[in-house]
Amino acid sequence: MAQRRQNAPRQSLFRQPFAQGRTLKERLQAYGSLQVYSLKASFSRIWETPIASSLTILVVAIALALPASFSALIDNARQPLEALDTTSQISLFLKPELSNEAARKLTERLKKNPRLFGAILMTKEDGLKELTAFSGFQDALAALTSNPLPAVIILRPVATDATSVTQLLNELRTLPESDRVQFDDEWLKKLRALLAITERCVVAFSLLLGFGVLFIVGNTIRLELQNRREEIVVSKILGATNGFIRRPFIHSGFWYAFLGALLALIVADLLILGVKGPADELAALYGSPYRLAFLSLSSTAVLLGAAILLGIVGAWIVVARFLREIDPA
Amino acid sequence: MIEFQNVTKRYPESGEALSDVSFRIERGELAFLTGHSGAGKSTLLRLIPAFERPSRGDIILDGVHVPKLNNRQIPHLRRKLGLIFQDYRLLNDRSVFENVALPLHITGHHPHDVGRRVRAALDKVGLLKKEKRLPMALSGGEQQRVGIARAIVHKPQLILADEPTGNLDAELSEEIMRMFQDFNAVGVTVLIASHDQHLVHRFSQRTLRLEHGRLAGDA
Repeated sequence: MAQRRQNAPRQSLFRQPFAQGRTLKERLQAYGSLQVYSLKASFSRIWETPIASSLTILVVAIALALPASFSALIDNARQPLEALDTTSQISLFLKPELSNEAARKLTERLKKNPRLFGAILMTKEDGLKELTAFSGFQDALAALTSNPLPAVIILRPVATDATSVTQLLNELRTLPESDRVQFDDEWLKKLRALLAITERCVVAFSLLLGFGVLFIVGNTIRLELQNRREEIVVSKILGATNGFIRRPFIHSGFWYAFLGALLALIVADLLILGVKGPADELAALYGSPYRLAFLSLSSTAVLLGAAILLGIVGAWIVVARFLREIDPA
Repeated sequence: MIEFQNVTKRYPESGEALSDVSFRIERGELAFLTGHSGAGKSTLLRLIPAFERPSRGDIILDGVHVPKLNNRQIPHLRRKLGLIFQDYRLLNDRSVFENVALPLHITGHHPHDVGRRVRAALDKVGLLKKEKRLPMALSGGEQQRVGIARAIVHKPQLILADEPTGNLDAELSEEIMRMFQDFNAVGVTVLIASHDQHLVHRFSQRTLRLEHGRLAGDA
């Protein structure tokens, strides 16, 4: 059998396609045709099984709507808290008998204190003006014969840690002009801690529900694979690469996750829309410019991106397992 | 075109299906592979497109050592072959057209090209008018002609047929065989496995005979 072939061909028909043989243009065209074929195939698969597909999309949407709504809630809570953060300030209430002139002198003195960012004096009159402008007490205030408000100097400490603040407060208390010193950040700290806990919970829930999406998409793709087993085996016999077989299923995974996430975003924004009316009204009653916001662009992008990634990864894992299973075909 | 060098295929459960088989089929030949059922015909044919790898020996297709191909290269080898099966292996939820187009989709042919080539292949097997039918709506002979159209649509240089007439009556079998002769007449190498001695005799072509996994005759 080692004898030389008499009419050996110059070029092997079988060696040719392995590496080169096709120009870049031809290969790109083939790639394009394969992508279009796969996109059509994956769409028609979803289209052919409308009930099963929409159920999958719906379950994905529900799993994602929860973290989406929660993250909207947190986004909304963070906004007023950040505004509060800049108001971590000391209120130095002055003795009522102190003249405005003496108050101004004290303010100038405090402004030079290096441990303070600044000092703003609110005279009795300023306080009354502000109260009249922002709250709903105009009528009651108008009925007053004298101004009951104390003058106050608003101070912002440079160091906000407990010891330096306590020291500063004690010094301020000993000032002869001082009536009462108030530094309220305890409640702010508590609020922030509460928000942090909530955020952690949302992250944990989101991870859990993200795994849910992975499994939902994976399971749906697994059923599709079972239904198309014969087609896949025949395709492999005819020379389909694993990529050719994988591609439409990855596309399916993408569609399920993308459509599900889109639906989840709509649900979350509808929820916000439902609460927005009364919430904005409440804020207006408190004289706050704060308004309930829809999901931010970045949250929307993160949700869509994460969902698509989960869908694709879920599909990939299942298809890879299936291909190993049928390999000696 | 095809060269087997001392090929042995052993299965852990059932022992040796092929023992030390060596032969060569030249380009443009038409050869039959015969033998009783279980003699190793199917095993031999399964080794060529690398559905399975031999336990020992080498298989050379036009200079390519098939057992040495890696998993990424094997699909490209299969695309160069035309494979025909006893049970047709058609997709029953796809039209005749889609079945024949499958090899072209796999290689990423342009859609315009696909239609032209599929119709040319269907024309060769006389099924041009039935492209929209589902395979189940066709007779056995017609289904096998769809299988043949699918095997030739990408113009392979080598056709491997495993009992292509196993489910067909004598008249249809002869018709199918004549089709293979036509392909061979234009230069395609054809290897047909069949246990139908009468049919094989009538065509008086080179015949490789397997017995218990060994090559018992080559005439």
